[in-house]
Amino acid sequence: MAETWQVGTQLRAPPRQMTRERMRWYIDTHATVEADDGRIHQGPPTIHDDDAYARSQGLPGIIADGMVSTNWIMGLLLDTFGQDFARKARLRTKYVKPIYENQSVVSCATVKQVERTPEGTNVYHLDVWCESDAKEVLTVGEATVYSGRRTGE
Amino acid sequence: MSTGRYVSDLDRGDVLGPVEYTLSPFVVREYCHAVELHQEYFQGSIDQIAPPTMIHLEKLRLYRHACPAGTGPTARVHIEYDATFHEAVRVGETLRVQGKVSERYAKRGREYVQLDIELRAASDNRLLMTYRDTVILAYRPQQTGA
Repeated sequence: MAETWQVGTQLRAPPRQMTRERMRWYIDTHATVEADDGRIHQGPPTIHDDDAYARSQGLPGIIADGMVSTNWIMGLLLDTFGQDFARKARLRTKYVKPIYENQSVVSCATVKQVERTPEGTNVYHLDVWCESDAKEVLTVGEATVYSGRRTGE
Repeated sequence: MSTGRYVSDLDRGDVLGPVEYTLSPFVVREYCHAVELHQEYFQGSIDQIAPPTMIHLEKLRLYRHACPAGTGPTARVHIEYDATFHEAVRVGETLRVQGKVSERYAKRGREYVQLDIELRAASDNRLLMTYRDTVILAYRPQQTGA
């Protein structure tokens, strides 16, 4: 039986700590993807991996690139809807608070609307966000998922 | 036209690219490993596709192409990702990416830049992704007044 998601369905990923390494792993992709030579590369210091540089920019220390939380939200949606979400969808995320080192982050989503196309595809509209363990909202956004799965089956 | 030097010079109407490249399996696996997307359709070798979040790196590709002097005097801070995925982006495909600065504006002492990006298949011009990226050019607000 196919899984179903109704209006009001809430999704929550297990908490993850935004460690220094997780911040750096993302930043290392920049130079690594640019080089594309089968080896890992590092770029110049950034606000995401160098405390002194981050402080020189007015921050108290390094902060996570917002795309880390965007990817964690996407992971939650992929785990829920499968690779449909990587093929035809929309995702918007806005970083409303900096995420600091070792902050706990929970990726969340709520189904707010479900439509059915004439072809039988379900279209799910969701609110998405990341919150801290103190329920402080860090990232907000919305997603649209086109899924072959049908509600009520 | 404000291209040719720093990213912080970019202004409304500037066009970045197009740039063509072929998407390798290595970069998709490395990216997905870094952000803990361990699904086999990203990290395996059969029918491998790219995660739609990789479009963020297309911005950096366009910056390098259009702004060879680098970031500018301050670090940018990414504040919004807004992407529509029209179809899967397949590993091995030759892609064409182009961007246009749709807005540059000041709000509460900070400079915002919006870049609209299209990612297409080079072979037949199929639209694969559209993306709006919003950054602030400096975390610390600019001082106003004398």
